[in-house]
Amino acid sequence: MNNQIPWLTIITLFPLVASFLIPVIPDKQGKTLRWYALSVGLIDFALIAYALWQNYDLQDSGFQLVERYAWIPQIGLNWSLAVDGISMPLIVLAGLVTTLSIMAGWQVTHKPRLFYFLMLAMYSAQIGVFCAQDILLFFFMWELELVPVYMLISIWGGPRRLYAATKFILYTAIGSIFILVAALAMAFYGGNVTFDMAELGLKNYPLGFELLMYAALIIAYGVKLPIFPLHTWLPDAHGEASAPVSMILAGVLLKMGGYAIIRMNVEMLPDAHYYFAPVLAILGVVNIVYGALVSFAQTNLKRRMAYSSISHMGFVLLGIASYTELGMSGAVLQMLSHGLIAAALFFLAGVTYDRTHTLAMEKMGGLAKSMPTVFALFTIGSMASLALPGMSGFVGELAVFLGFATSDSYTSTFKVVVVLLSAIGLILTPIYLLSMLREVFYGKQTEELSQQILLDAKPREVFIAACLLIPVIGVGLYPKLVTQYYDVKTVEVATRARTAASAIAHQPVQVFTQASAAPKLTAGPELLGILK
Amino acid sequence: MEAIYQYAWLVPVLPLIGAMIVGIGLISFNKFTNSLRQVWSIFIVSIMGMTMTLAFAIFWSQYTGHPPYTQIIEWASAGDFRLNMGYTIDHLSALMLVVVTTVAFLVMIYTDGYMAHDPSYVRFYAYLSLFSSSMLGLVISPNLVQVYIFWELVGMCSYLLIGFWYGRKPAADACQKAFVTNRVGDFGLLLGMLGLFWCTRSFDFAVIGERLENLVESGALSGAVAALFAILVFLGPVAKSAQFPLHVWLPDAMEGPTPISALIHAATMVAAGVFLVARMFPVFENIPAAMNVIAWTGCFTAFLGASIAITQNDIKKGLAYSTMSQLGYMVMGLGVGAYTAGLFHLMTHAYFKAMLFLGSGSVIHGMEGVVGHDPAYAQDMRLMGGLRKYMPITAITFLIGTLAISGIPPFAGFWSKDEILGKTFEANPAMWLVGWLTAGITAFYMFRMYFSTFEGKFRGEDVSVKETIRIERLQAQGFSMGPGAMNSQELAVADEAHDDHDHSHGHHSHEPHESPLSMTFPLMALAVPSILIGLVGTPFANYFEEFIHAPGEVVPPLGAEVDLPEFLTMGGSSIGIALIGITLASLMYLRHKVNPAAIAEKIPVLYNLSKNKWYIDDIYNAVFVNGSRRLARQVLEVDSKVVDGLVNLAGFVTVFTGETLKYFENGRAQFYALIVFAAVLGLVIFSGVTG
Repeated sequence: MNNQIPWLTIITLFPLVASFLIPVIPDKQGKTLRWYALSVGLIDFALIAYALWQNYDLQDSGFQLVERYAWIPQIGLNWSLAVDGISMPLIVLAGLVTTLSIMAGWQVTHKPRLFYFLMLAMYSAQIGVFCAQDILLFFFMWELELVPVYMLISIWGGPRRLYAATKFILYTAIGSIFILVAALAMAFYGGNVTFDMAELGLKNYPLGFELLMYAALIIAYGVKLPIFPLHTWLPDAHGEASAPVSMILAGVLLKMGGYAIIRMNVEMLPDAHYYFAPVLAILGVVNIVYGALVSFAQTNLKRRMAYSSISHMGFVLLGIASYTELGMSGAVLQMLSHGLIAAALFFLAGVTYDRTHTLAMEKMGGLAKSMPTVFALFTIGSMASLALPGMSGFVGELAVFLGFATSDSYTSTFKVVVVLLSAIGLILTPIYLLSMLREVFYGKQTEELSQQILLDAKPREVFIAACLLIPVIGVGLYPKLVTQYYDVKTVEVATRARTAASAIAHQPVQVFTQASAAPKLTAGPELLGILK
Repeated sequence: MEAIYQYAWLVPVLPLIGAMIVGIGLISFNKFTNSLRQVWSIFIVSIMGMTMTLAFAIFWSQYTGHPPYTQIIEWASAGDFRLNMGYTIDHLSALMLVVVTTVAFLVMIYTDGYMAHDPSYVRFYAYLSLFSSSMLGLVISPNLVQVYIFWELVGMCSYLLIGFWYGRKPAADACQKAFVTNRVGDFGLLLGMLGLFWCTRSFDFAVIGERLENLVESGALSGAVAALFAILVFLGPVAKSAQFPLHVWLPDAMEGPTPISALIHAATMVAAGVFLVARMFPVFENIPAAMNVIAWTGCFTAFLGASIAITQNDIKKGLAYSTMSQLGYMVMGLGVGAYTAGLFHLMTHAYFKAMLFLGSGSVIHGMEGVVGHDPAYAQDMRLMGGLRKYMPITAITFLIGTLAISGIPPFAGFWSKDEILGKTFEANPAMWLVGWLTAGITAFYMFRMYFSTFEGKFRGEDVSVKETIRIERLQAQGFSMGPGAMNSQELAVADEAHDDHDHSHGHHSHEPHESPLSMTFPLMALAVPSILIGLVGTPFANYFEEFIHAPGEVVPPLGAEVDLPEFLTMGGSSIGIALIGITLASLMYLRHKVNPAAIAEKIPVLYNLSKNKWYIDDIYNAVFVNGSRRLARQVLEVDSKVVDGLVNLAGFVTVFTGETLKYFENGRAQFYALIVFAAVLGLVIFSGVTG
């Protein structure tokens, strides 16, 4: 395997290596640097696309493009990379969003060298997180991405940037400690010491130990996703971060939490997942409803969107907890779709902020007249976010709903309550998103704003928004465009989780869940035409 | 003939392509696209014309006996789960295609005249085309999920079109209200859909009905649960077709331009709810509880709408409540099992109500020349009167529509409404009584509208009426009560804030004028079906029933014996009460023998109940709107004080507060972080290279 081209290593390291050239690039007018950073981003994105296009086999649910080199043999650390159906689409998402956010930061004039250096370093770190198959390497990549985010917020952020950045780094760093401890504990458990994630998943842990590990990891990833009540860093970080950083934060970094929950909690600790799944479902519902309500009460544009992200991430949790292929597929699709939609909305909020110099919605109003294109794009983004059919958000949420409703792993009462409450989120979402549009764009302009010249979106800005929104519509019109890339994998994950669950369910101890099948069909199998 | 079925998918796709081309043009080359105006409108209208031709071809093929045709593709899958999308052409969808495309086509022609001076003319055509596409997709949907998809899409188009004049605050509020109210209905529809899928594992209408019946019969599923699912699904039509208690959005939706009030909020989208009930008929008809809920909802809505319409002064609001009332008839018809009658009324109503709305638009267009571009004045019937002299075509077509909706034979509305009432009488005489009384009220308020708009003396320049309207509006906006209690300065400020069209008063004429041909042609075209279309469904030769009937229903052959005495009693009583209503209206508003104000003063409770729309909007506002705001604020308090505080406190801030934050906030921390970052990187790379 090592005699092939090490594609994953190349795409992971290329932006980082290229970023080291930034200090020596001559940059008189401040224009060379941004073109350099953008080219690096584009080249890496093209490499990702090419490498996956050429080498990725859709029918294979296992790891592909595997690369493993001993790195620091003394401690058993391997440079071990691979992709499968869950990480592959997220890598593409990371490449797309990061490249576009470099383009969104086109007008950075304050310390541009450091800015572009950090953006490229973050590019590498994100792809590293999704590729890493060695738990230490994963942890390292996870940490590698924290520092640039911290600095990007604290240097280029809004007035309360230091508070927000500090809060961010403290929350996530404490979360990371849990990952490290859990990783080491799992690695040293039993006779053989290994950091390889696949092998860790094969170990047989006692239930108590597994539950403990699960709890530790869910705290760490719960900060990232974020899960209530560990979410309060997010609105502060978003409220203060500049648009390009918000795009990456909402578009990619939150998905690292969801990815890691599937990769580690569900895949490596399936027995504990059986006990924790109802908790995840409940937390998912809380996220959906609570996030939506708080979002409605916000008066700051970006904080409103930040809480909307929390609400939407609740569906990912529900999907993960559903134990069905459909729910799992919906969870992954929801992550991808939210990555695109949230990035688009945060970018457009940045575009608006560039003109109005305020994020307070009560100070805006009537912007549609002077910025019709931004208004149109903002409307498309909001419609996508409120899960309008024909856009990807709808497909993700519908799949999660269907998956959860047809799950055999919960009692009917539990399912009814969960589905009913999360469907209330469907009513709340348009309330806060359309109120946002109304307050910002409808009506008449305030006196303050009408004195300023508000230019409509420039071609560059339209292009960035289009790059994010066209895939959203494409997936919404024909979901198989994306689901085919990971279907075999999500099916495998859900099947394995169900097998593990039924193995436990047959043991004497039954905790919360009782299999309750749908009423038996009396109709013959020939009627099952649609289902098969 | 097969070819038109293979290409039937073009019916929704053609208008979609039109909308996309114009939409992309507007986003990318805004100025240029906007400057082309009529190039685009001709483009969009011709696409609609092509679609209409195709729809007629499909209809003809179905009429001549082609079997239903369904084409599906796999749309989404996960594991063993498959979700199919496609299109199905049967009698019902063929009929809906014809209704939707003809009304859409005529409305698009009308728009050219109505929106001629609007700067967003091109955008309006893009929205119209997008809406037509979604609506056509809805009617050919083969399963419940696809219906849901297009259901929401038409809702979005309605949102965009109601909020079309985004600078107007009432429009901004109305479009949000429409979307959110419809989402409440969709919430029910989605839950019902999930429930039905959970127990039948299918989204196909017929399959759901069959399996649900089996499940209930075999006792695997309790009848109450099945009824619950059915009623949840029915919540969707309740919102979309403006049935009580989710009707509140429709009257407000009149803030949108009049062509879309005709197309979306009278003829097509609001009828989608009735269409869905018809599609779900195989499911509903086996569940008596659900059918009763449906019938009574329709019955009550019919009465509610009519009772509010009596006192409305805004011509469009009056028509909106009348639409709501007529939709109530349709829903009631389906609820009592009169599948054919409900859909027949859907079709006749689509034509005559579209014409009435377009007529009101023509009136408003004419009035704007006199009173200015302010909807509060241009749409108020107290300022109209005598318009027949100035706009004869509009007046005649409006009269035809009024006769049709009042149920006077041989106009279209008589046949369909009478069929519903007849079937209702068989099912439940109490319900019939309500429907019958409502028919009288309908005739009354419609003729009140006709007389005060077109007959009598023109009142457009009556200053005292204008003053009354102005004060009423200010009161509605919450300024202090009574004309005396307000100082003039306050009035001036309030006026300025809400009326920026007043400065264009200078060049107004003193007389309204007839609208251009592009507006009167659709009126005349729609008058034809409004008069004649009812004749396809007379009890003597019911071609309509032969074509459209509930799946599995046995239809008596054409020319079968008609129970003449029964028809004469039912029809006669309907005509009788309509004539009473018309007489009353003419006494009050044409001859002024009876003073309506005096009657209103005698029964202030009833008058205020009707005038204030039964206070339903006020109750919703207090309970739901303010309630949700309060709840959201409280949750925010919890979030910022309790959750944030506790996590900060319990976690680590105790350790770091003071020292760390100060340390971090002096700005040097970033420098240290950078060094640490670089060092870690360096170390890793170093060990990577050497290791």
